[in-house]
Amino acid sequence: MTHINLDELTHLQAINKKLVAGYHICEQDNVMWQELDQHIEDYTALFTALGNDLKHDSRGFYYFGSDESTPNMGKISRAIALTIYILIEHYANTGKDPMRALFDDVNDLELMQTLVQINKHLFDQLEIFSGSDLRKDVYLRMVRLGLAREVEGGFMLQAPIHRYIDALMEVNEETYLTEDEE
Amino acid sequence: MIPAKKLLNTITEHWGVLALLFKRFKMADFSLKDVQNAIKQKQPTWSNERIYKETNRLLNQDILIPLAKSSQLEINRAIADFATFLLQEEHLGLAQEISVLVDDLARLGNRLDNAGEIEDFDDLRRYSRIMDDRVRKIMKLYTHNENAILNIVEQAKSNNAVQSLQKRYKAVIEAFDEYIEPMLEMVDIRGEFHACFTLIEEQISKQILHIERSGKAYNDKRMLEQLRTRILEMHLIGRESLRKSADMLMPLREELRRNNLITRQAAKVLGLVRKNGVDNMLSAVQPHFVSDAQRYSLGQQRHIVAYMASLVEFEHEEYQLPDQQDVPAFVTPNIPDYNDVKTSFAKRFNKKRKKPQPLLQFLDESYPDLDADEMLFLYQKLVSDSDIKIIQSDEKARVKIAGQHFSLYPFNSEPQPDPKAGK
Repeated sequence: MTHINLDELTHLQAINKKLVAGYHICEQDNVMWQELDQHIEDYTALFTALGNDLKHDSRGFYYFGSDESTPNMGKISRAIALTIYILIEHYANTGKDPMRALFDDVNDLELMQTLVQINKHLFDQLEIFSGSDLRKDVYLRMVRLGLAREVEGGFMLQAPIHRYIDALMEVNEETYLTEDEE
Repeated sequence: MIPAKKLLNTITEHWGVLALLFKRFKMADFSLKDVQNAIKQKQPTWSNERIYKETNRLLNQDILIPLAKSSQLEINRAIADFATFLLQEEHLGLAQEISVLVDDLARLGNRLDNAGEIEDFDDLRRYSRIMDDRVRKIMKLYTHNENAILNIVEQAKSNNAVQSLQKRYKAVIEAFDEYIEPMLEMVDIRGEFHACFTLIEEQISKQILHIERSGKAYNDKRMLEQLRTRILEMHLIGRESLRKSADMLMPLREELRRNNLITRQAAKVLGLVRKNGVDNMLSAVQPHFVSDAQRYSLGQQRHIVAYMASLVEFEHEEYQLPDQQDVPAFVTPNIPDYNDVKTSFAKRFNKKRKKPQPLLQFLDESYPDLDADEMLFLYQKLVSDSDIKIIQSDEKARVKIAGQHFSLYPFNSEPQPDPKAGK
């Protein structure tokens, strides 16, 4: 039986509010990150008892795991996935180191416009028709989920993007085949 | 002959220019104009005349020499080598360079052995000295290559936006393929290096023992011992240096491999997405998020859809399947054989009757036991039979058969042609 001293968990409310909204707490969220890092056992026990699955990724972020999304969230997630994969391809095509550029480069509106222009028919499927649509529908949502942060002149992607890269590596011929059979 | 001190003075004075030329053109040639530009860059205050004079000084002292049959210049090779050493701008050598030296060492080892056997101590000393020289050279190559690899790693790591990914890693891959891997193979415990060194060591040890026993040329013993130690040390240093180089390069190679993998995978997945549509392709793998909506709303859309679907089929009580005995037993319809009906129909109507008769009346009269549906079955069969001549009346009529009322445009019989007469 673990004894949790709630008085010690000073940022419980803030952390809970963020996490249940699907937010990823990463190192850039200084206070909450440190709090979680220090009392990880307490928080894990507490959230598990409340029916949430607090996950810690060693690449530097915490989030609530979930097996399914609401249809709306699913749509957002797909849009984010597509954007990131297109970004990787774009960086590779322009001769950059994709992994480095993904986390080091600032994504400005100009880049967003280029991405939408090049991949028009893909973004059309998600009802994203311009760079500012992409900014509004994908980047601002990424900020709300803790996947990116707003900086001067654009957005910077953060560590939780690794979840999408993992997902990318999961796609293989079998996934494709089962999709096809369905 | 130019006095060394004068030369050194000029080099010191123009070291900035030389370093610039060296870095910019590596080992390639350049023009007189390039030299003057370089001087101007380093000494912006100098007049053109002064720059011209200084360029001539560099040329006159053979620091820069013209290429044969060309107006292009190059840095004197000896000075270039010196600069390489000073600037640590070392280029990675090939594994072959080292392996050639080791082969030479093995050859010299055999010679030394022969000289020892015939007690030619002059030769023994000579070969020992040459071997010593080779060993130093190999050690120098090791440190040189280690520095070169350090340079490669630094270059690859510096985030130069202009340099493309492929260019940045090309040097890393080359270093691995050209140097590290063949070298690792050679210094392997079962590799040729090891065998070679064991042999040389044995040969030298034999000579030392021989000298100790015979007491001849005792002065050479110390030299041979030193050579033996140096060879062992070289082997050790080589392995150390290689391990260090490999350690430096390995993470970069891994990074490159992972980057390639991710890029390839992204291209593949996007290809599939283009073919199959975004939702089809990505739904299966997308990461999921918890959301407020999930927690506080009535339910997800699909929950509501399922709920509505079950409402449609709502029943107060559970539907009861009928019992076995409630089901009426199956009764075979007692319809007479159609051919019989047709024959009797033909019989009845082939007598020259003027007046058309309703078909239903005929059926009703002929088969009074039939149920209404059975009667209608026969009726429609007769109607659709092309052998039978019938006409449809234009007036709607109401008829009663087998206790049921029907309203229809009845078919009436026409006089039937005699099947025999027809043929």
